Amino acid sequence: MADVKLSNIKKSYGDTPVLHGIDLDIKHGEFVVLVGASGCGKSTLLRLIAGLEDISSGELHIGDQQVNALAPAQRGIAMVFQSYALYPHMTVFKNMSYGLKIAGKGKDFIDAKVREAARILHIDHLLERLPRELSGGQRQRVAIGRAIVRDPNVFLFDEPLSNLDAALRVKTRVEIGKLHKELGATIIYVTHDQVEAMTLGDKIVVMNQGRVEQCGSPLELYQHPATRFVGGFIGSPKMNFIDGKVAALGGDHIEIQLSNGCRSRACVEAGDLKVGDPVTLGVRPEHIDERSDAGTMLSGDVTLVERLGEASFIYLTLSDGTEIVVRGSGESTVTTSEHIKVSFAPHNAHVFDSNDRALRRLKAGNVHSTAELAQLKAVGQEAF
Amino acid sequence: MSQPSSIQRRFPWHILFFLAPGLLIYVTFSVYPLLDTLWLGLFQEDETGQRFFAGISNYKTLLLDAAWSEPFWNALWNNTKFFLIHMLVQNPIGLFLAALLSSPRLRLSNTYRTLIFMPTMLSVVIIGFVWQLLLSPIWGISEGFLYSIGLGQYFDAWLGKESSALITLALISVWQFVGIPMMLIYAAMLSIPDDLIDASVVDGSSAWQTFWHVKLPLILPTIGMVSILTFVANFNAFELIYAVKGALAGPNFSTDIMGTLFYRTFFGFQLQSGSITMGAAVATLMFLIILVGVMLYLFVVQRRMKRFQL
Repeated sequence: MADVKLSNIKKSYGDTPVLHGIDLDIKHGEFVVLVGASGCGKSTLLRLIAGLEDISSGELHIGDQQVNALAPAQRGIAMVFQSYALYPHMTVFKNMSYGLKIAGKGKDFIDAKVREAARILHIDHLLERLPRELSGGQRQRVAIGRAIVRDPNVFLFDEPLSNLDAALRVKTRVEIGKLHKELGATIIYVTHDQVEAMTLGDKIVVMNQGRVEQCGSPLELYQHPATRFVGGFIGSPKMNFIDGKVAALGGDHIEIQLSNGCRSRACVEAGDLKVGDPVTLGVRPEHIDERSDAGTMLSGDVTLVERLGEASFIYLTLSDGTEIVVRGSGESTVTTSEHIKVSFAPHNAHVFDSNDRALRRLKAGNVHSTAELAQLKAVGQEAF
Repeated sequence: MSQPSSIQRRFPWHILFFLAPGLLIYVTFSVYPLLDTLWLGLFQEDETGQRFFAGISNYKTLLLDAAWSEPFWNALWNNTKFFLIHMLVQNPIGLFLAALLSSPRLRLSNTYRTLIFMPTMLSVVIIGFVWQLLLSPIWGISEGFLYSIGLGQYFDAWLGKESSALITLALISVWQFVGIPMMLIYAAMLSIPDDLIDASVVDGSSAWQTFWHVKLPLILPTIGMVSILTFVANFNAFELIYAVKGALAGPNFSTDIMGTLFYRTFFGFQLQSGSITMGAAVATLMFLIILVGVMLYLFVVQRRMKRFQL
């Protein structure tokens, strides 16, 4: 079993660079999700790890072996493709046994392996069928089965759920999670869906334009996004951003003059910020309260209310034209074109400097006692 | 309760109206000539040119009378050889070229594709004439070319020898038409999704194994179609033999195929006088041979071959 280590991996097609030096350490047994918008290079990175494309420069280790020059089959990897890529002319059994047959394994060995994998995936009754006679979910299982029988050190998944309908996607997602526990193998999983990333990953790698923006556990990414991109990418609806300027520096917070005229506190480390520096304040829709007494108050006109039942998404336009989203309660009585006041607590604020890098948050994610909460609220209200 | 239809269902004239143009052209130029040929084969002409019904006596003469049956069986056997050479040389080379062209590592593949397809667009008469010049032992460049690469002792007047003339002509035809199977198979290969090839590579198969186990089974229907097209085209072939060897298909009828036999029978040539009715009988047999071949393909081969949804 094997760790995967990427050191300064670069890839370019002709003169066009698509990956600019990726460093990544993946421990054995980890479930790593590569996530990013389309065209960010996540699939290319997966294909490089698989050996389907040549690495332009940098080193790739699987286990203690440098595998840059090895053929895919020698790397101890197996891959599940977005389109499943089942051989249409082979039965399920032959699809799953093809790799073993090529490797010259014995008939009994192959038979045992395939039946074992089919049992795990509950597709034993489908072994004699052709792929076209299967449903999307069943094809997906066969594709996973084809990977399992080869006993790989590393599983590579390339957007495996995007061809399934919504209900099946959730079900299969759960199953892939369980399968990971059962097999204990290293999994590298590419997706553009942040829900898949958050639910499945032990570690999430957010990619943007051929670079790793941030790499960490799901909650780390949610609570401490390192850049504005990650802040906006993780979380749904996405984080609200309001431009502002540093107005004052405190010991455990800074004060920001927002573009709509409000003044806000944020519990972040000031670093080398000076008063007057431009910053962006980020606050998630679920951290904005419909009431006006949680800390910083914002007021604006409601342009749209989306009612989901368990929550309502309220779209507000602030006085300077900035648009924000508030996650209100499901019973919210707010209506379109109403003028309302909302607020958020300073410990929920994120601040990004002019280079879009986040300032370290001081109180995020570790607020537990109600006393602490009350204290933070007090800090927030002091501002006014 | 069933309601008695108050409005009589009218005959659907509009369907007939829309079908009429195509049907009319098809019947006039395809069905009628074919039926007329079949019918004509059952007649004979006396010295005055008077036609009379003769039943199957033309076919009896053609298949049993030595003067007629020898050329007929000779032409049929030659035609079969002509077809087999195409199947064994043209189609495998076409497949090989298509496989090379579809390789993503090949540069200038569009140029190769155009160049290889070029002879197909030229007239058969020009091809025949050019190759006759190339292979001529008197002015041809082939002899000099072979000597220059040290293979001069193998040169022979291939087109002039009974033993090699048919093979040479078949190979010329292969050279001209290899672009067609190449294009058809190439198109089929392009339709195989890249993911499938990637999956096979990840499964550990070599390029050859991928070709044999994944690509070939998926293009098999296309290869079947190429085979039947080759069959039909070869048993209808005529121009190349006529252009290079004339209607006598020499030397000593060694390049005679069904098309040239039909030509001599129908139009007559030199000492042989033409016979419309006998010609019709030869044409009918050609039609039946092709019909049987195509039927065998459709009912025996194609039924077992499944097209796979990619």
